[in-house]
Amino acid sequence: MVDEKKLQDKAKETLIRDDVRRLIGWKRSTYGYEAAPAVLTDASQADQLIFDPTCVQNLASFISLEEKKPVARGAEPDTRKIAVMVKGCDSRAIVQQLVEKAYSRDDVVVLGIPCMGVIDRRKAEKLFGETAGQVSAKVDKEKVAVDIEGDVKTVDRKDILMDKCLRCRYPNPLVSDFLLGEEVEKWADDDFADVDDFEKMSPEEKWKHWDEQFSKCIRCYSCKSVCPMCYCVECVVTQLKPQWTRRSTDISENTAYHIQRAWHLAGRCIECMECQRVCPVDIPIMTLNRKMTRDVKEMFDYEPGVDPEGEPMLASYNPQDPEDYIM
Amino acid sequence: MGDYKFAKDKLAEVLSALEEYEVFAPEAIGDVLRFKAVSDPAGVNLDDYDNTTVPPKELMFPQTETLFKYRLGQTDVEPELPDPSSKRVVVGIRPCDALAYTIVDNLYGWDFPDPYYQKRRESTTLVGLACAVPCSTCFCPSVGGAPASEKGLDALMFDLGDVYYVKALTDKGEEFGRAAGLEAAGDAESKAAAKQGEDALAKVPRSIETTGIPEHLPALYDDTFWEQFSDRCLSCGICTFLCPTCHCFDIQDECESFDGRRARMWDTCMFAEYTRHTSGHNPRPTRKERTRNRISHKYSYFPEKFDVIACVGCGRCIKNCPVNIDILDILEKSKQAGAKEAKTA
Repeated sequence: MVDEKKLQDKAKETLIRDDVRRLIGWKRSTYGYEAAPAVLTDASQADQLIFDPTCVQNLASFISLEEKKPVARGAEPDTRKIAVMVKGCDSRAIVQQLVEKAYSRDDVVVLGIPCMGVIDRRKAEKLFGETAGQVSAKVDKEKVAVDIEGDVKTVDRKDILMDKCLRCRYPNPLVSDFLLGEEVEKWADDDFADVDDFEKMSPEEKWKHWDEQFSKCIRCYSCKSVCPMCYCVECVVTQLKPQWTRRSTDISENTAYHIQRAWHLAGRCIECMECQRVCPVDIPIMTLNRKMTRDVKEMFDYEPGVDPEGEPMLASYNPQDPEDYIM
Repeated sequence: MGDYKFAKDKLAEVLSALEEYEVFAPEAIGDVLRFKAVSDPAGVNLDDYDNTTVPPKELMFPQTETLFKYRLGQTDVEPELPDPSSKRVVVGIRPCDALAYTIVDNLYGWDFPDPYYQKRRESTTLVGLACAVPCSTCFCPSVGGAPASEKGLDALMFDLGDVYYVKALTDKGEEFGRAAGLEAAGDAESKAAAKQGEDALAKVPRSIETTGIPEHLPALYDDTFWEQFSDRCLSCGICTFLCPTCHCFDIQDECESFDGRRARMWDTCMFAEYTRHTSGHNPRPTRKERTRNRISHKYSYFPEKFDVIACVGCGRCIKNCPVNIDILDILEKSKQAGAKEAKTA
């Protein structure tokens, strides 16, 4: 378990540093089963920080969400660091961002948090109903205790944690400057059973499935906006000149969008599952990403976001690389 | 106006009787609800649904619509207007979503009456379904609505267990009642409906006192106030696309080699490219300006122009925001910040 007092103290200490300009952590949300990201600039705000199984968001995404404004003539750009709290899975985003040289290691202070799983809002709402009240939670090796305004409900981990947690191989951060809490034991493994299940479908069934799913898409772009690996300043799908993807919503453009999105993550997706979590129309986006993850692993023996010294898959070459997929 | 009723298990029959109408009702794909043209009346289920995920604004203002088509060398074009003689009925629309149409009507009937929107509005009959159990993020009574509000509706249905009680509110509503072949209701149903409306009103979980908000928001225009919310904004389109009163659109030409169409599609002030000029300059360069615009447009600019707040309290923007940007939280905090700002000014 993470001691929130220690976490807040570390945040204060970090925010006081001259070379840190903001810290991204979690705070209690106004209502419901998910916490809220908190972007702090002053040590006096650190008391609102929390960590518990409601802290679902991958805060590595917020490093690149901050817009760079033009610097006034004669002024120096603010090069101070951003401090960010990350769970094990989230830390893979930092690793991959570093591997891709999205920023340099000196630009960030990583506050790592060993994690025992986070709540899936959809599962919680099915179990306990929607709530207008504030929620906190505790997790141990078997159970999750969800406190809905004083009403505590205990449930098996598998019934409420996000799917990614049930196959989590990296509960401890893979990169961090400070670890906020004791490392936890790995409790799960990933056998890609979900991908196996999907692959059992015939091509016709798959088309039907994606036809139905992509027809729902309203192209709000929350999946790409939240993705820690979608940090391009100008995204190819929203670029207007030249325009590669039409803005109109129909099955053709929607499908084109989702295929582009998935392909641009080949060898890059770190499986934080944020895209699927945020989707307002419940498109199972991770199915595509997971299939790609397994292909990349099997074909190139590559796993993104685990080795800070590694190279991006698509920027490295080995004469033994398979080329079966090239017609 | 008449009071009608029909047995709940006769819903499919009632919908089938509406031969002269194109019928729209909520359709579920998994947990996601959206109003769709009904192909199989037996498949319509009005039980246990909260607000549809995507609001029925798309029935008047589709996410993508063709304005006209053109061909190289052609000198004139005909707008592709909706057929005004077609009759549509929306069954099961929630009172907040109907109220939203009355707000958006102001905009689409303003300096340039929009024939695409208006023709659909005119040809559509709105049969509401009162909410017996409000959602966890609802606050309709704070912004002129109620779980059983009649505003903007042609008829309002109440789910009374075994029967739907249908209260006709306009001539269009009467016509719907006749076309559906509904039987007359009695005092008992009308009283039960009134009671249900009152009970539901008491159950609405959230609220905001809006007095003064339209006036004090402009004082916060340049304030750092917005950053506590915008710093965690993803700049995605969830809050605006799912908002029943958000009405912004983009117009684009989609061309093949010799043919093309001019289409309009939903746009959102939360996207950076929404205000980006051809020169590259962007007057709303960061999430701060964009967040400010969304809130201020609903609670200040729109009321200033049309004397009504452009929010119906459906709670969709709160419920679907992945980072807990909660419009009620912003408005509540803006009161304190706005008061402080006014004092120092």
